[in-house]
Amino acid sequence: MDYALQVLYVDLSARTARQARLDTEISQRYLGGRGIAAYFLSRNATISALDPQAPLIFAAGALTGSRLPAAGRMIVAAISPLTDTLCSCSVGGTLARELRRAGIDMIMITGRSQSELVLRIEDGAVTFEESTCAASSGLEDIFSGFKGFKGAVAAVGRAAFQGCLYANIMVDSTFSSGRGGLGRVMAAKNLRALAVKGRSRTHVCDSQAEELSRTDIMRLFDAAPAIMGRSGIRNYGTGALVDLIAARRMMPTANFRRTYFEDSRAFCAARIKQSMEPGSYACHGCPIACKKKGLHEIPEYETLSHFGALNENSDLAAIIEANHICNSAGMDTITTAATIACLAEIRAERYTGAALVEKVAGIAEGTDELLPLGSARLAHAMGKPWTSMSVKALEMPAYDPRGAYGMALAYATSTRGACHLRAYPISHEILRKPVATDRFTFAGKARIIKIAEDLNAVVDSIGACKFAFLGASLEEYAKGFAAVTGLAYDTQDLMRIGDHIYTLERWINTQRGFSVKDDSLPERFFTEEGSSGAGIEIRPIDRAAFDEALQRYYRIRACGPDGAPTKRRREELGL
Amino acid sequence: MMDQVQKYHAKLIRQGLVDTQGAVELYGLDDEIYSNRDGVPEAVSALFGRLNINSLIIARPNPVQWAIIQELSRINQTLICPCDCESLTFIHDIPLVAHLEPSAVAQALNRRKGCIVKDVGIVTTGSVSLEQAFISLSSICFATFVKFFVDCLNGLTGFGARPEARSLDMLSSVMDTCRPLEGVNTLSRVVPKSEDAILESLDQTGKIVVDRRLVDSFFGNISYRDAGIIYISQTGSSLDELPGHIDRVPLDGSSTCELTASSELLAHVRVYEHTGDKAILHGHPRFSVIMSMHGKPLSFDEKRFVADVPVVAGEVGAGRHGLVHTLPAAMEQTHAAIVHGHGTFASSPGTVSEAFDALSAIEHLCYERYQSLMTKYA
Repeated sequence: MDYALQVLYVDLSARTARQARLDTEISQRYLGGRGIAAYFLSRNATISALDPQAPLIFAAGALTGSRLPAAGRMIVAAISPLTDTLCSCSVGGTLARELRRAGIDMIMITGRSQSELVLRIEDGAVTFEESTCAASSGLEDIFSGFKGFKGAVAAVGRAAFQGCLYANIMVDSTFSSGRGGLGRVMAAKNLRALAVKGRSRTHVCDSQAEELSRTDIMRLFDAAPAIMGRSGIRNYGTGALVDLIAARRMMPTANFRRTYFEDSRAFCAARIKQSMEPGSYACHGCPIACKKKGLHEIPEYETLSHFGALNENSDLAAIIEANHICNSAGMDTITTAATIACLAEIRAERYTGAALVEKVAGIAEGTDELLPLGSARLAHAMGKPWTSMSVKALEMPAYDPRGAYGMALAYATSTRGACHLRAYPISHEILRKPVATDRFTFAGKARIIKIAEDLNAVVDSIGACKFAFLGASLEEYAKGFAAVTGLAYDTQDLMRIGDHIYTLERWINTQRGFSVKDDSLPERFFTEEGSSGAGIEIRPIDRAAFDEALQRYYRIRACGPDGAPTKRRREELGL
Repeated sequence: MMDQVQKYHAKLIRQGLVDTQGAVELYGLDDEIYSNRDGVPEAVSALFGRLNINSLIIARPNPVQWAIIQELSRINQTLICPCDCESLTFIHDIPLVAHLEPSAVAQALNRRKGCIVKDVGIVTTGSVSLEQAFISLSSICFATFVKFFVDCLNGLTGFGARPEARSLDMLSSVMDTCRPLEGVNTLSRVVPKSEDAILESLDQTGKIVVDRRLVDSFFGNISYRDAGIIYISQTGSSLDELPGHIDRVPLDGSSTCELTASSELLAHVRVYEHTGDKAILHGHPRFSVIMSMHGKPLSFDEKRFVADVPVVAGEVGAGRHGLVHTLPAAMEQTHAAIVHGHGTFASSPGTVSEAFDALSAIEHLCYERYQSLMTKYA
């Protein structure tokens, strides 16, 4: 099978575009999505995030356009201006589908335009159009400017152009490349929007085998309580996690000074459903449809929890408004909420209700100087660096690591900073999938995290959704992958590729100066207790046990004690 | 990890899946390999080298189970395709490998969670914990047992290819040893009056269901309804290890904590609505599953009976073809039903003990039915 990715190289400085077929061996080694993005980022691994020549990559997953369920996602990747690490974000919506329909698997954008542009790819033609957006435009206005356009659009809002280091890129107006400030990279290139429309159908090598895989996967979705159950994310969205994480006493509260918020029922999913009766919508080809919308977008779990518990705020209307402002200006909600919570701790204040909304609006409007830089820079500038609850300058999501030790290790080893999705141990530590593990031990977790990181590198490269793996497994998606692409890869072939991709990402970060000193957690988690209660004790993490688990992880990942991939491993992988 | 090795070693023996200490090898890998054996054979090291896993079990099942597997291996040669619902959903098919040769075994395990090595036993893996390897091994035993007995019965009664004489000889030689276990029900018949008493009754019932081999540990679920709350076993919990693994679910759906509850929660809710009962027990008794599959495949809207016990179709969970749409109405009169190729649900207006009695009685009935059909047709 001749599997070769089609790459569109765009130079915004010269306003040129060139499409080329990528080498077959490279294509087969990195699959698409996150894998191929890591490959291209590794070719200039030490470049500054906002250097005009730094690449911004949009890469469709290998299964995009197929009939496999929950497999229509893509990756946006660049060096992060917030963390200075490699950063890749999985994004839903229809952009991946349109790219594939346009005969493109990946776009690599370099250079910087003199004036603000819209890059349009339509029916095989690439055009560079002057943007007519006002600097203060909200993303709603920008997307409504494409109203008659039948394709997909990715755009950045005013936060990105104002220099917010955690500005995101929005796709189809509601799907976000959430973390790490990739919107800032796009704005630095003076690129306001990317609009893509294609016509061709995705070629599937064996549609009968594809259908068998689809049936197997759907059967497993139906059997998974977290997906299709009465309280599953299909019914409630990820907000379904609010009650469960609160009950496990691991909901970050008051900038992670506590792990239980008494008022979490104020923003729980059942209450939202009852009071707002939101509708559902989905990424392309997804039967789960976890996105919920009422008058405004219903925030995801992380956003509910961080604008709620992390800021000690029980005003649901304020949470929804804060989320709406973030989406309109194009800002990562996790970092926004966590940076405000950090400021609140430093000033010994609380920003709740209208005060919280005002803070968010200040960032969106560019009137605040420090908040748009993220919590690490803000805490450093204010002389209290220990109050930033971040790893590698990326703020922690809404799972307190004292309540799940696999999560603690995964935050530390993630290649883009504190990220819950690189290994997603919540799956087994909380949701009991594929089996339950003891959340209060590091025993066995080093290899579990390593395997899960490899798995999710594959998931992000084939364009699948991580929630799909709360029901199905790579066993079913591997068969689907072979059916769609014609590549006779089995589960372990794909896992080997995942290991390669993750090691490459770690190697990129190593070259950028990251090492064992950065693979850690804020001191608070080793010294302060969480909120014990209801028979659950939330103790500080044992530093020695954590360090030992981290070194075990390094050995398993074939890294030295400093966290860098060993020379032997790099040579084996040709890095 | 050594704790896990010891735990699942003991479980395999306690549940009769293997019958001697020497028949099973368990390996857990973090940065080094932990095992119930001294030393790690070369083939095992090679398998860990080839597979991105952290757990491995190599086990020769008990003699009856192994004889059944060998007979299926003789007939099927390269692949055994199970016919029961849980196996179709979770393990799909079972590859057969001739010898414990690492590249051939790894090739099979690249595709599936477990395989059968013809001269050795069952080999299964996990990438999160040894529990996965244990579950896959247990599932392969269940799937092959059910397939062998179903194929023989349907073949003899005109619903499939007639079994070879050798298969029938083997069947008659093992039939007696497969009889459901007898025993006095020692569970309390007092209606529980407090949350503690409810949890205690669920725990005791779960243990006896596993001890009597009416479910293979990991599968099955149990619940009790009281004062607007359903106390139900968590998804993936073992019925013999329920303390700490019961979710407290408000019937009115006011909390989403039930995310971790059994995948059959909605079926339990609907059964309570239809029957008004207080307790539900779901197990996978082997002959109940086998007898539910006697005859033509059951379509989604069909129902048939084993004696007066209804048999309905329906897949796991609450999907379009989920058993949640067929089971509750079927239980309205009988308070018990078998889901085709899946397992038995029994409910009771009083205690889980009574549901256990019903589940057990149905299994004995199905065994007797099977035996009499074999006598008649063989």
